[in-house]
Amino acid sequence: MIARLLSALLAAGCTAASAEPAPEADVLSIGGSVTEIVAALGQGHRLRARDSTSTWPPEVADLPDVGYMRALSPEGVLSVGPDLILSEDGAGPPEALDVIRAADVAFVTVPDAVTTDGILRKIEIVGAALGVPDRAAALSDAVATDLADAMADAARPDAQRKRVLFVLSTQGGRITASGTGTAADALIRMAGATNAVTEFEGYKQISDEAVGRAAPDVILMMDRGGDHGAADDELFAMPAIRLTPAAADRASVRLDGLLMLGFGPRTAEAVRRLNAALYDEGA
Amino acid sequence: MSLIAEAIRVRYGGREVLQGVDLAAEAGHVTAIVGPNGSGKSTLLGALTATLPHEGRVRLNGRDIAGMKPWELAAERAVLPQASRLAFPFRVLEVVRLGQQAGTAGDRPDVPLQALARVGLAHHADRTFQDLSGGEAQRVMLARVLAQVWAPVEEGRPRWLLLDEPVSSLDIAHQLQVMEIARRFARAGGGVIAVMHDLNLTALFADRVAVLAEGRLLATGTPRTVLTDTILSRAYGCALRVSAPPPEDVPYILPHAASA
Amino acid sequence: MAALTDVQAPPRDRLSRARALHWALAAALVLASAASLEVGATDVRLSALLAKLVQGEALGQMERIVLLDIRLPRLAMGLLVGAALAVSGAVMQGLFRNPLADPGIVGVGAGAGLGAILAIVLGGLLPVWARDLAGNQLVPVAAFLGGWGSTLLLYRVATRGGRTSVATMLLAGIALGALAGALSGILVYIADDQQLRDLTFWGLGSLAGASWAKVAAAGPMIALALGAAVLLGRALNGLALGEATAAHIGIDVQRMKAVAILAVAGATGAAVAVSGGIGFVGIVVPHLLRLASGPDHRTLLPNAALLGATLLILADVIARVVIAPAELPIGIVTAILGAPVFLWILLRRRGLVDG
Repeated sequence: MIARLLSALLAAGCTAASAEPAPEADVLSIGGSVTEIVAALGQGHRLRARDSTSTWPPEVADLPDVGYMRALSPEGVLSVGPDLILSEDGAGPPEALDVIRAADVAFVTVPDAVTTDGILRKIEIVGAALGVPDRAAALSDAVATDLADAMADAARPDAQRKRVLFVLSTQGGRITASGTGTAADALIRMAGATNAVTEFEGYKQISDEAVGRAAPDVILMMDRGGDHGAADDELFAMPAIRLTPAAADRASVRLDGLLMLGFGPRTAEAVRRLNAALYDEGA
Repeated sequence: MSLIAEAIRVRYGGREVLQGVDLAAEAGHVTAIVGPNGSGKSTLLGALTATLPHEGRVRLNGRDIAGMKPWELAAERAVLPQASRLAFPFRVLEVVRLGQQAGTAGDRPDVPLQALARVGLAHHADRTFQDLSGGEAQRVMLARVLAQVWAPVEEGRPRWLLLDEPVSSLDIAHQLQVMEIARRFARAGGGVIAVMHDLNLTALFADRVAVLAEGRLLATGTPRTVLTDTILSRAYGCALRVSAPPPEDVPYILPHAASA
Repeated sequence: MAALTDVQAPPRDRLSRARALHWALAAALVLASAASLEVGATDVRLSALLAKLVQGEALGQMERIVLLDIRLPRLAMGLLVGAALAVSGAVMQGLFRNPLADPGIVGVGAGAGLGAILAIVLGGLLPVWARDLAGNQLVPVAAFLGGWGSTLLLYRVATRGGRTSVATMLLAGIALGALAGALSGILVYIADDQQLRDLTFWGLGSLAGASWAKVAAAGPMIALALGAAVLLGRALNGLALGEATAAHIGIDVQRMKAVAILAVAGATGAAVAVSGGIGFVGIVVPHLLRLASGPDHRTLLPNAALLGATLLILADVIARVVIAPAELPIGIVTAILGAPVFLWILLRRRGLVDG
């Protein structure tokens, strides 16, 4: 599947390459999925700087980091000298954006998405802003096909779907879980599972009893590195989680946060990896 | 010129602590207010200094204090409280200056040190107030009060010292020193009103004595007429005998001479 | 060293030393301001620009924007906020006769925090015309109203028969703080992930959102409040002797309290509104100055304005240079620098706190 995506990209690259002058690095990319899309469009060389949520592909780690996207420093942004800023929705503070716009830097906002269509729209906007609509169209097709395949593979009858609890944080023994309408909720459903919590929207702290009632078969978390065995011991010892079916099987899945929640070109991969982790033997 | 209080009533939480007290103090005299604990001595001083809400009228040098601004009052009279806690590490001389600035001698650079010299603490001018002993602190506060009303009489009007137990933390030598300062202020034409605990010192230094008991004025007059067996025994609720040995011709009190 | 000269110097010297300090601090403020215009993430340099101007060259657009729209409003805001926090701290300590008091005592912080959280979490529910009216300034406006409003409420609660009890105000402030905390907790519960992030960053404080609009909104309020506060020097000195004695030496205690509380609410409310929560300036600055030149509020208050402004401007320079092109929230810098200094003061001079 990855090979299929790559070949699509290469094809797109061949058709467009001759027409373009080789532009210099001139883009500041804000938001992990936007940066991924820039790279997937073969425009990674144009990235001059990134924000702290942009961690993929690994090469971008070497770029200057302008900080957290909602607390940007206007001079910091201007100091990297971008001609174009591509930003996920919600960059700020507003005063900083005002100054940046006043400095005649093109600023393109890319709306958030938790659906296939949303991802394709992101690709279209980024491709247009970078002046590579053909590449964007090719990437769009590849991503759409790939995602459709991944979701088709993952789909299964309701009765066989596992109940998944996405835990954002266990800070201070209190569990913050995902309700509906979030990227986590969307990914869980795309990967052929059921979100165990549907009583509320967004990420919220949830009581111990509510976790018990949700009765998740699997706990899904962001991978923060470190020793998963020890982390699991701690996780399944929590009163809220101890009584769930997930604790009985010690069933936990950890995936990279950006891969899971970014909703960019790698979402099909996220669907496959989550699906495999949930249903393949030995997972 | 005088300080006259008429029909002073003060209530604390429903209880009438002062039940219509009249007091008249003349400039040139030391007027002592005595009485047992809880008789209302300090409360009366609080009314005289406009610190406590009260009924009745207080006239200072002919003016009703109810109509006077804090700074107008500060120019006419200075008040020594029972105990003083100072919030920040001011130096002794700086504390005295705080008093001086409130009075009419605010621009004379020599006054604070002279005031300290009068209470015998000029050598401590640069020390931090918090480092002083309790007795030294009380004398510094007296110096502050003196610096506020430095001239006992100004433009023909007397200044007033209102002292709440001015010798409570002092040893006997400094008790005498402080009372002597009060007497000299009065002899120079100023007015002094002091709440006193020590009846002997009262007898030694007061020109007039007011005896309070249970929120009422029991007696008022010269020490000789007021400090008697009958009045004091009634005021303090225990048998007291006043004696006057021939050489000094001043009354003194011997609790141990009381008949059981 | 300081202790020796203290004992030998004639007492008048502490006042003249405080006045000398005044000029030294003014010079330090000028230097800090120059540094703040000179240094930043871009390589725009004030010195280079001045040289350009002298030679009659025009400034480029980038240089103009960095200097006039980024660094200059930021400098102005650092100056206003630093002076406001330091002077408010000194006034509160004088008013409550406690060297650990800060404006938080009169509920400014809790109220401003609640206002900010309300704006961040529920701002989206406002009718469109209200959002348009407030524009980008919804959070600062709400924070200011929250801070000012809670102080007025406390003042009303603590005032009976024309007298304000600072003890009642303190206790009511604790109750109000708990209530504001609980309401904030409810809002935090319904907040989404982004809003929570915004709340965290607001709480850490920053001058990154500086703009001429904010300077214009907060500047007059802070200037007015500080002007009033600085005039309280003599009255606060008197209050060190206690409320009754302050009245005996001619101070209108009730009027002073009203002026002090309103000035602090205005200055701190405006400062917190435009910069978020910035800690330790209000406690550390007055302490340092008392150590250097004594507790006389007539010199302490203006010197606190100068030192507070200088320190906050320098902290902001650090905040925006260390991890450029990103920057640290300035509240982190002031806490990292301020907390050790504060501990050091406590260890060296316990007497300052215990009286």
